[in-house]
Amino acid sequence: MKWPKLTLTARLTVLFTGVAASVLLGFGILVSWATARHFVELDRIYLDDKLRLVEKLVTEATGPADLTATLDELLDSHHGLFAQVWVDGQRVYGQPDLRANAPASSWVPEQITEWAYEGRELRGLAGTLRPLQGTTERQDMLVWVAVDTAHHAHFLDTMRKKLAIYLVAATFVSGVLGWWAARRGLSPLKAMGKRATSVTAHNLQQRMPVASVPVEFAELASNLNGMLDRLQQDFQRLMDFSGDLAHELRTPLSNLLTQTQVALSQRRDPDEYREVLASNAEEFERLARMVSDMLFLAKTENGIDLPHPERIRLHDEVLALFDFYEAVADEKKIRLVLHGQADMDGDRLMIRRAISNLMSNALRHADTGTTVEVSISSTDGTVRLEVINEGPPIDQADIPRLFERFYRADRSRAHPAAEGAGLGLAITKAVITSHGGEIQVHSRARQTRFTILFVRSRFTTGVSKPQ
Amino acid sequence: MKILIIEDEPKTGDYLRQGLREAGFFVDLVANGTDGLHHALEGDHDLVILDVMLPGLDGWQVLRNLRGHQRQMPVLFLTARDQVEDRVKGLELGADDYLVKPFSFAELLARVRTILRRGRSGTESTTLQVADLELDLLRRRVNRAGRRIDLTAKEFGLLELLMRRQGEVLPRSLIASQVWDMNFDSDTNVIEVAVRRLRTKVDDGFPVKLIQTVRGMGYVLEEPDAR
Repeated sequence: MKWPKLTLTARLTVLFTGVAASVLLGFGILVSWATARHFVELDRIYLDDKLRLVEKLVTEATGPADLTATLDELLDSHHGLFAQVWVDGQRVYGQPDLRANAPASSWVPEQITEWAYEGRELRGLAGTLRPLQGTTERQDMLVWVAVDTAHHAHFLDTMRKKLAIYLVAATFVSGVLGWWAARRGLSPLKAMGKRATSVTAHNLQQRMPVASVPVEFAELASNLNGMLDRLQQDFQRLMDFSGDLAHELRTPLSNLLTQTQVALSQRRDPDEYREVLASNAEEFERLARMVSDMLFLAKTENGIDLPHPERIRLHDEVLALFDFYEAVADEKKIRLVLHGQADMDGDRLMIRRAISNLMSNALRHADTGTTVEVSISSTDGTVRLEVINEGPPIDQADIPRLFERFYRADRSRAHPAAEGAGLGLAITKAVITSHGGEIQVHSRARQTRFTILFVRSRFTTGVSKPQ
Repeated sequence: MKILIIEDEPKTGDYLRQGLREAGFFVDLVANGTDGLHHALEGDHDLVILDVMLPGLDGWQVLRNLRGHQRQMPVLFLTARDQVEDRVKGLELGADDYLVKPFSFAELLARVRTILRRGRSGTESTTLQVADLELDLLRRRVNRAGRRIDLTAKEFGLLELLMRRQGEVLPRSLIASQVWDMNFDSDTNVIEVAVRRLRTKVDDGFPVKLIQTVRGMGYVLEEPDAR
């Protein structure tokens, strides 16, 4: 059913009123019908009784005159009662026109019939009689009694009127009650709506009342609360992130500004200008890199840059990276060791970048003269790549936040320009996640181990290259 | 060598023109796509540097029109959006290379020179020489002033690149990409360390230092008085 734009309260009220009205109406009809039936039954008993009485009088009467006298006496004492007596098709007692409007069926004995007589509503009953005393010949005797039903009709009429008034009043009252009940029943929704309007970006900690609402709304309320929880978390992350970003940008920007303004504050020789410009260029490079790393992260995390899958020999990739980091490792007298080999499907450039960041991290934190080890293995379609270095362990408290953007375990240390912006591990994690893998860190007793777990052939079945 | 720059951002256009001029190129600068296409069709430029986002005709339309008129001069396009589709589209339309903004000028210059060199298939000599430094590509040997210098494979590759592009400042990202095939930036100063170690082997003990650091730009190999 298509409802016009009615409020839920209005709909419930209309429904409630409609139901109440039809129930009451049905009840009224039933009562008045039953009452009418009851009156018919009462009349039948009354008429039956009177018929027997008349029969008795007729039987006991000594002659026509005596009969008339006794019957007159009877009718006088019973208001609204009428009678006729017929013998052999001849009327011997009663008003002649009493049965003028009576239907033909009124002759049938033991059957109630109704008709009008002189403005009255009559109900009548016929009966046959045994032969009169003293006569031997067979005679057809018929007795007729009728009663005026005016007072019954009057009573029924009054009762129906009262019923109708009651029905209208009760319907109205139940409508009002229905409206009140609907309003009351829906008031938790209203309260929730009100609560919802108070939720803004600055006021995300508002929650729907769960305990105080009816059970039917409790689930909705707790679902909404779950939604708010997730939103608040994401929003908080976004806020932290923009805060971090602003902070990370502020340092190089303020360096640039100060340096440039100091340089401009007086005349200098060309070498000094060159020095300032070169230093600025370095800062700019850092900024540009941070922006492009942020962009890479954003795209990877949001799945815009879907991995272009190809078969990758991890062994070869790690060897290429060993070549790349050879000089840095040599400087710290670090040995690079590789064990194992496995193939996997993934985006070569992204995977290379992810492993590169882990190696860069390992080399940075490894003690001089130790070994940085990469071990590759595969079991049951899972590829495991571990990067292990010996060096000061990562504080357990830092581990959960290690993969967050801009997170540096060592906040106090001023990071040299060559070092990244603290996005390396975040990028690694984003790449691994976009490949359906996961990354874990174990750090204890001077050994730190990053473990990547990949599904080997995530893309081999039903590969759909982005269009 | 004539280069046409089609770039609507005035500052970018100006510094590109100045930088390329000072690098020894003749440069025309145009600020919108319609004029740019006209210049490219009329002129005899050896290279077009094309911004993608342009008023009038956009970069793609200019490129398509150029190729439609059978003008095959190399095109390097600049884009602010690092989207795979952009790259693919540009290269499909016949661009020769692309750079994502922000890029360093050293990077641009190196790319421009690479593209312009591509056309000339001069006779490749098997030895490279700068001052008293000799690099034998066939035997993979390096001598300086007659003294043999032992290099690792990657150090050899690095020196070869520096010598082939002698006198050009090579940015770190270009070195990483050409020598190690690493097309991303590392958190670690890998190139710095690698160049420093190469310099120790090539320059230590010699009065003339060939490998120089240009701060904020990159590295260059040349005879000092040549600059």
